[in-house]
Amino acid sequence: MRTIVELRNVSIKGKGQYRLKNIHLNIESQERIALLGKSGAGKTTLIQVLNGTLVPDCGEAKWKGLEIHRLSQRKRQSIGTLWQDLRLIEELTVIQNINSGSLGRHNLIWAIGNLLGFIDNEHGLNCLSAVGLSNEKIHSSIMELSGGQKQRVAIARLLNQKSELLLADEPISNLDPVLVDDILNLFLSSGRYYSIDVPETAIVSLHRPDLIHNFSRVIGLKEGQIVFDQSTKNISKEDLKSIYQ
Amino acid sequence: MTEKGKSLSAPILAFLPAIALIPVLSEIFKEVHGGGLHLLGKFALASFQPSLDPLIIQHAFRGLQITIATALISWTISMCAGSLLGVLSSNVFWRSYRNLGWLSSVFNSLISIPRSIHELVWGLLLLQLFGLNPWVAIVAICIPYSALVARVLRDQLESLDHRPMVAITKNGASPISAFFTALMPAMVPIMTTYGSYRLECALRGATLLGVFGLGGIGTELQLTLQSLEFNEMWTSLWMLGVLMFGLEKTMAQIRKRQAKSINLQKFLLPGLFIIMGLFILCFLWLQILEVDILSTLRMHPITLPQSKELIKAIYSFKYFELIFNTLLIMVLATGIAVGLPPVMLILFPTKKWVTALNILWSFLRLIPPPLSALLLLLITTPSVSVAALALGIHNLGIMGRLLKEGLESQNNAQHQAMLSAGAGMRGAWLYGLFSKQSKSYLAYGAYRADVIVRETSVVGVIGGVGLGWQLQESLSSFGWSEVIVIIAIYIFITRGVETVSNNIRKTLLIDPTKTQINNVFQPNRFVFQ
Repeated sequence: MRTIVELRNVSIKGKGQYRLKNIHLNIESQERIALLGKSGAGKTTLIQVLNGTLVPDCGEAKWKGLEIHRLSQRKRQSIGTLWQDLRLIEELTVIQNINSGSLGRHNLIWAIGNLLGFIDNEHGLNCLSAVGLSNEKIHSSIMELSGGQKQRVAIARLLNQKSELLLADEPISNLDPVLVDDILNLFLSSGRYYSIDVPETAIVSLHRPDLIHNFSRVIGLKEGQIVFDQSTKNISKEDLKSIYQ
Repeated sequence: MTEKGKSLSAPILAFLPAIALIPVLSEIFKEVHGGGLHLLGKFALASFQPSLDPLIIQHAFRGLQITIATALISWTISMCAGSLLGVLSSNVFWRSYRNLGWLSSVFNSLISIPRSIHELVWGLLLLQLFGLNPWVAIVAICIPYSALVARVLRDQLESLDHRPMVAITKNGASPISAFFTALMPAMVPIMTTYGSYRLECALRGATLLGVFGLGGIGTELQLTLQSLEFNEMWTSLWMLGVLMFGLEKTMAQIRKRQAKSINLQKFLLPGLFIIMGLFILCFLWLQILEVDILSTLRMHPITLPQSKELIKAIYSFKYFELIFNTLLIMVLATGIAVGLPPVMLILFPTKKWVTALNILWSFLRLIPPPLSALLLLLITTPSVSVAALALGIHNLGIMGRLLKEGLESQNNAQHQAMLSAGAGMRGAWLYGLFSKQSKSYLAYGAYRADVIVRETSVVGVIGGVGLGWQLQESLSSFGWSEVIVIIAIYIFITRGVETVSNNIRKTLLIDPTKTQINNVFQPNRFVFQ
């Protein structure tokens, strides 16, 4: 295992208060990390620092030794994000959205070809199967899908990116209980899942502490600060209480 | 002092501008001379007896074809150039290129000047520079239209949700691929709607330029009016009317279909092929009509004015009077255009009356404002009021149609509730239908003032007043220093009016209780005309 992400004394301020305060964090490859905390604890902010959307007001956030917000286009492909608001392109079809996950590996002509429906991507279809959506849906417009189906398309797009690190912000909030297990299994599986490569490292923010058992490590956040950061087996009820009180 | 609850509400405010008709008509009636009344009567009667002489029909049909081909070529070029400029002038396009963000401001400044000047002014300028050539009309339309398309595209691009684009960029896509993938699909339906409006405008523009001698149906209209051959004039007017009616209906159908859903894969490529095919076809068409579209533009040598001459020109005009008259034409014309449609509708809000008004509005839209001004001059003398009335009634035709479409597209549950509660026909219309539309209607009226101020140049030339008239005078005498000064003033006035109308629109379109933009006359639907 090697360190892929390093956060040193990272703070983010917003509206007169800290959204993140003095965060120190090392993330090793192949770790499966659950982020826990109440709404507003800083989970989304931390994920946005990790994908380079937010630049720390102080401190350093690094991906393999390079500042995250300065990463080149090629290196940005290594970090995939499942956004809380999904950020799907409503005007495009399911398969066009999934294909957009691999834009980092292709040029503008390919991008235009995808818009015109010329791109038939087998890997994209495998990603769709992996999230449990039938192939009949590939040409459906995103607007025609339910909330849960949209969530799965967003996950398929993320898988199609073939990233090394998976950042997921509340990925199961719109899913029914059976699908919650399937999606978590997918995120936590190592290596291949339904013939697709799953990112080897995952950081998943959750609002349900009962789902942390299969993660290797749990980070608890409260008011922008890390309250605990330890192996899942060492998490006690008191730890969980401390972040939800 | 205005107390809360006692200020005028939007539905009433929408009626008030109609007051402009009173000073306009009183000035016109003061100067009326009976000699021209029978001519006006002849003009009206001739509408029932258009000339059916095959030679006249042939001439009119040829003119119509030239206008259509000119409009289509201008429209294609301006849509392509405008789309490119719109992308380049948007902040969102340059956002990902950190060191090049300033380029959006450069492109924005670049498009702000051409769109401030009406296509007729460009046409007259180019006519002086290059002489009579089919390209003069095409380029005259393309310059302001490209800038207008660019402005709308830019505004729409900025108003879209950028989060999907950010998401794709953060995942490693190149900024340009992310831009096209995330934003272009949303832009296609908007640009189709806007493009259809622009095509109607291009046809009107090409007709108008024809009135000033640049060929096509407009020239036929001008020549027949000048020789008082009203029956022949009506042959051309009916042809133009049928064309505009057909186009309006077709475009309304396209907008309706496309509002439901648009399949990018099935739509984009065939659409592009059809447009390019039409473009090439129009060249061949003009050649067949013996309009030498392939001839090259040759610039007549002109002497550019020295700085001394420019300074002299600055001091040579009575600016206050010219600017005042131009703004007065705009205010009066906007009042007529905005205030009269609701007044006309509330008189008898029945289906038959609305249909009759719709026919009247179609007719008013059809006649280019300079021809209306010339018709008015048959019975009165040139004045601000003649220019304002000619411009006002043309725009009244456009505002009337928009109001009718807006009223028809909204839910009429409140109207029915009012009627079932025993409200009278007019009361129910005012409270149950119009009140819902009034704010957005007024907001669109504010935008119309932008368009009207540009058009003052068109009627000023005929009405003998304002900057338009002075521009024509200076152009005829090759006074280039004066032309430059007048155009600079025009740009200044247009930008000023644009800023004021933007602020009015923003104030009107935001509902403070919902912080939401009203959607019926939403800018992305109707800022287009």
